[in-house]
Amino acid sequence: MSTVINCIAIIGKQNNPLFIKNFSNTHPDLKYHYIAHTSIDVIEERGNGVRSLDQYLGLLYAMEDLAVYGYQSNTKVKFVVIVSVTDGVIRDADMKSIFQQIHQAYASHVCNPFFNQDSPSMTLSSPSFLKSIEAIGTTIPISN
Amino acid sequence: MYSQPTTSSPLPQQTPQQVQQELVSESCMDFFLMEMVDTICRTTITEPDADIDAVFYKLETLGFSVGQRLIEKLTKDRPRFVDTLDVVKFICKDLWTIMFKKQIDNLKTNHRGVYVLQDNNFRWFMRLSTDVGGADSAKKATPFLWFPCGIIRGALANLGVTSVVVAETSNLPQCTFQIKIAA
Repeated sequence: MSTVINCIAIIGKQNNPLFIKNFSNTHPDLKYHYIAHTSIDVIEERGNGVRSLDQYLGLLYAMEDLAVYGYQSNTKVKFVVIVSVTDGVIRDADMKSIFQQIHQAYASHVCNPFFNQDSPSMTLSSPSFLKSIEAIGTTIPISN
Repeated sequence: MYSQPTTSSPLPQQTPQQVQQELVSESCMDFFLMEMVDTICRTTITEPDADIDAVFYKLETLGFSVGQRLIEKLTKDRPRFVDTLDVVKFICKDLWTIMFKKQIDNLKTNHRGVYVLQDNNFRWFMRLSTDVGGADSAKKATPFLWFPCGIIRGALANLGVTSVVVAETSNLPQCTFQIKIAA
């Protein structure tokens, strides 16, 4: 039983949407926008409450057939990965490695001098970044 | 900054062990920084209504975006910061070690949002001197401090701390950076 990533979303420091990529065709994009938006509250609550020294926040919440995992970097950029719930158990280590790959792709993209981090309407659209996210999203995280 | 590797994701047919770390030559970096300060000073003077503050603004803004990007890469694998003092200590130790191969020599704070960082042997001043020496060389070396000011401000900003950073030097190669954190 293998789990597939449905969506990867990246939210910026001022809680502005930076990037969202829908890998599945079971749900429309709008639904994932909504899920990413509600994740912001959960991430802020988890991140500021109990001071865990980890960037990985684990399972944020689950709704219907989707499980939402969160990760907040030291620069207050939030990554959200939505997976479809199946019977298999999703290991923390696998999710952490997925988030680390996303973070690596994001850090490489940020180093582009033409990308202005502080502009509120900027979205991440460089071809190499899109390609690396595509590669992360289409590899199956668990192979039981 | 001198030995900052340019990370590139491995090509499909190469194993990660085969990917070389690409480093920048230190003397190239030195020449580039000298020329950057000189060019900006030279070209800004010719603009209308430009004065020394315009040079400061340009160099500091350049440093700001460099600082932001450096921090994004450097704090990727690091656990979360506890408080502002932790952030400033990170700048004094890790950021300074990566940029200048040494740590800040002295950190003072008044615990009310003002931090003073003192570097007794600032790397970019090691090969600077003028004929007159003393206060004259300190004055001429000041524009070289504005780019690091921007780097510090950018690093703090990306970690969630708004600040104002100023720098001064009284005798080469010593310099002092003062960070004022917005309440």
